[in-house]
Amino acid sequence: MMSPMAVPIADYVGLSAVIFFIGVAGVIVRRNPLIMLMSIELMFNAANLLFIAFSRAWLHNAGHIFAFLVITVAAAEAAIGLAIVVTVFRTSRHVDVDDIALMKG
Amino acid sequence: MPVHHVMGNEGNYPYLLALWLLPLAGAIVNWAFGPQLKSAAGALGSAAIGVAFVATVLMWGAATQSVPSTGGVNLVGAHQTLFSWLPGFDFGLLMDPLSLLWALIITGVGFLIHVYSIGYMDGDNAFARFFAYMNFFVFAMLTLVLSDNFVGLLIGWGLVGLASYFLIGFWFFKPSAVAAARKAFVLNVVGDVGIMFAIFMIFASVHSTGFGDAFAFAGSYNTGWLFAICLTLFIGAAAKSAQIPLQTWLPDAMEGPTPVSALIHAATMVTAGVYLIARCAPLWSQNQDAQMLVGVIGALTALLGAILGCAQWDIKRILAYSTMSQIGYMIMGVGVGAYEGGVAHFFTHAFFKAQLFLGSGIIIHALNNEQDVRRMGGLIKTMPFAFVAMLTGVIAISGIPYLGSGFFSKDLVIQGALQHGHPWLYAIALITAGITAYYMCRMLFVTFLGQYRGNVDPSDLGIRHPELAGTSAHAAEHDEVHAHAPAWLMNVPVGILIVPTVLIGWLMFGGENSPWAHFFAQQFPHPALPAAPISETLTAVIAFALVIVGIAIAWARYGVAPAQQNAVERLRQESVRMPAVLTNAFYFDYAIDWLFVRTSQLLGTLFGRFLDPQVIDGAVRETAFSAQWLGTLVRSFQTGLLRTYAFLLVIGATCFMVYYAVAMGAAK
Amino acid sequence: MAAFWILGITLIGSAIWCITNTKPVYSVVALLLNFAALAAMYLTLNAEFLAVIQMIVYSGAILILFLFVIALLSSGVTPFSVGPNKLPRIGIPAVVVLLIALGFLTYAVNRVTANAFANTSPTSPVGPVGTAGVFGSVADFGKALFTTYLLPFEITALVLMVAVIGVILLAGDQAPYVASQKQAEEVRREMREAILRGGE
Repeated sequence: MMSPMAVPIADYVGLSAVIFFIGVAGVIVRRNPLIMLMSIELMFNAANLLFIAFSRAWLHNAGHIFAFLVITVAAAEAAIGLAIVVTVFRTSRHVDVDDIALMKG
Repeated sequence: MPVHHVMGNEGNYPYLLALWLLPLAGAIVNWAFGPQLKSAAGALGSAAIGVAFVATVLMWGAATQSVPSTGGVNLVGAHQTLFSWLPGFDFGLLMDPLSLLWALIITGVGFLIHVYSIGYMDGDNAFARFFAYMNFFVFAMLTLVLSDNFVGLLIGWGLVGLASYFLIGFWFFKPSAVAAARKAFVLNVVGDVGIMFAIFMIFASVHSTGFGDAFAFAGSYNTGWLFAICLTLFIGAAAKSAQIPLQTWLPDAMEGPTPVSALIHAATMVTAGVYLIARCAPLWSQNQDAQMLVGVIGALTALLGAILGCAQWDIKRILAYSTMSQIGYMIMGVGVGAYEGGVAHFFTHAFFKAQLFLGSGIIIHALNNEQDVRRMGGLIKTMPFAFVAMLTGVIAISGIPYLGSGFFSKDLVIQGALQHGHPWLYAIALITAGITAYYMCRMLFVTFLGQYRGNVDPSDLGIRHPELAGTSAHAAEHDEVHAHAPAWLMNVPVGILIVPTVLIGWLMFGGENSPWAHFFAQQFPHPALPAAPISETLTAVIAFALVIVGIAIAWARYGVAPAQQNAVERLRQESVRMPAVLTNAFYFDYAIDWLFVRTSQLLGTLFGRFLDPQVIDGAVRETAFSAQWLGTLVRSFQTGLLRTYAFLLVIGATCFMVYYAVAMGAAK
Repeated sequence: MAAFWILGITLIGSAIWCITNTKPVYSVVALLLNFAALAAMYLTLNAEFLAVIQMIVYSGAILILFLFVIALLSSGVTPFSVGPNKLPRIGIPAVVVLLIALGFLTYAVNRVTANAFANTSPTSPVGPVGTAGVFGSVADFGKALFTTYLLPFEITALVLMVAVIGVILLAGDQAPYVASQKQAEEVRREMREAILRGGE
């Protein structure tokens, strides 16, 4: 049988949503690619929190496994994102996502 | 699927295959090895046709056999199965009396003309090519008449048109020859399309293209449907046989070498229309309207050709119009139902018209390709043999009783029209007979009597464009050559042709008991007919009287001594006063030009100026413009800024979120 | 309960500090605080292994990577010189949209009730954190990872390998597919000009 959680699951969802939207706001509003990448990490972590909270609520460790995978992907994403930043910096000597608009239609 | 009906007795007939394929072999060899063969090409080509003729004669027994079949219907002739294609498309060769007759003419007269061509074409640069084309034509024509189904017939029909195109344009360095070849081809294709539509309709009715199937169910067709089939078939026949209104190509086709005119445009190919209608006699016999249509067109063509023949100065064009007129007779004969008569006239006409053309070829050859009769005259002294040849031909075509073959066959046609209840066609045919006698004698007298006018200034004779009249570019090439061309090569075939020209008509003598009637006893439907109001003898007398009148007028105008005295001035007067309606051949070319060519051009202009650029291109352009407009619209979202994309992504995700929240709320 | 609220407020505060800082180094520090608080929250949720992983991978590896990049880019020229904002008025609509989204999310969250999880069978028994064999312990996690979830685990390895190759290709000294040095210079120059034109 399940053991009750000390905090209702809805509170975890609300907390996760707030952190997630702070991350979204960071991606949209900031022009520094490093801050944007950090915001993405925030969003990943918000998602992870949900996984683990629900895993605890269900008492099922699939959520843990998934959180583990997300951490892996986050690490890969951070590595590649930073590599892109470095490459862009190498060619343009300054980093501002507004200055990188090669895909403009 | 209806039961398969085969005409003729099934079997293996090596002679039939031989006579069909030998001309093709000759054509291929001449085509491939022409340069090596040199002058042997003519002998080879002639030999191929000659052997084919022998094989045709050897097929006589098989082709005329008549074996009662299980259904009580006699199976006539020989049938050789070749191969089956799709269901309903079985190919084979059929040789019954009708095909046999045509094959005999094609190979027999064809052989004589081939031999003649060795002399006529001697020294031509493309000697082997000529014989390749001629052999190819014979093969194509045999395909046409030996096929046992409509598709094979159409293949032959198209191939003879192609051969005709090759041979009319044989001297392709003459622009007029090229134009004539093209005209003939285009008009013939009109006919091909007609036959194609007929095949579609027949196939839709009986699910087969074989003659046997098509005719076995002839009685079951709907009347309107049958008339449509006959009409479309007749479009093909009219185009090939130069009937109104598709006749204009035939006079122009005389641009080809004279043997070509003799073989293709007189003896064989142009009579394919007669063959087609005679072959489809079971269809025509079922439909009065189709008979009437074909009869009237035939009679009108006969009359028109005869009238136009009176206005020509080019000896070959005179003969061309006479060919048109005589085919009009044949078409009228087979159209009204007098099949034996129409076919008989084809038979005699093949001999005497070939003879007339070959005789005129001797003259043209001797006079360095001079074709204008105004520049001839007095040739009886220098070319007596040609005169005899032409004279016998004229007698035959004019229908002088008992002296020429044309009398017998023409009589059958004219009397047949009356017997089948067409008195008006009968009258037109009689009048045409008189006119025929007039213009043929006119040609004969102007050419052979009086003084030679070749050295008279062309303008004194009323020749407006001497550079266009006959004397052509290849004259110079021939100039030195014809001197050592063996004359007998040309004279012997003409001499042989004189015999049937004079005598072959006797086959038709004797009414019901004639060999001719026996030959075709099993071939054509023989409905019981009421006695004609005018007896055959009386018809012959009336025809003869009109012929005498025609000859007399011609004699008075061109033959008598006073007319010979100032022939140059009289010919000039006649040339100048010739009505424009006749020199322009009743404006048929203009009518076709206005009705079809200019309408097509107008339509093309309309399409080219409006429909294509405005509607079709317009649609394409508008599609492109709208895509461009849409692209401009969507482009504004593609700022290239990462944050824009992120923001749009968030908006989209928000929309999903709102949707799910609302959906969850609704589910509660 | 109290731990949740303390950690929650720390999480939100550090997140906001992270995205509002003008200096990236401070952002990294804020993020470190955020990750640490999150690791502690994992512990309250019986996820002891993931709490450790969170500290090692995020705080240890990823943030150090960020620091290195910041150090690299800050040498010589200043990478954070700001030009005109190409999306000057994005702030207000972004906030509006985010508020709408957040509002609807809250609305949806309020409908989630605890009895949604009533009839599930737990994979492992619940016990105090740090005890072997209970839910969320290292043994429990490892057993699940190498038996039931072996395939996703292997795919993770593939993802990491792809990432490694990608990084080498991107950040390597010279793109290996460019034919010659001269050509590479040409490409680089054109790219630079294009970037400086701002894609116009």
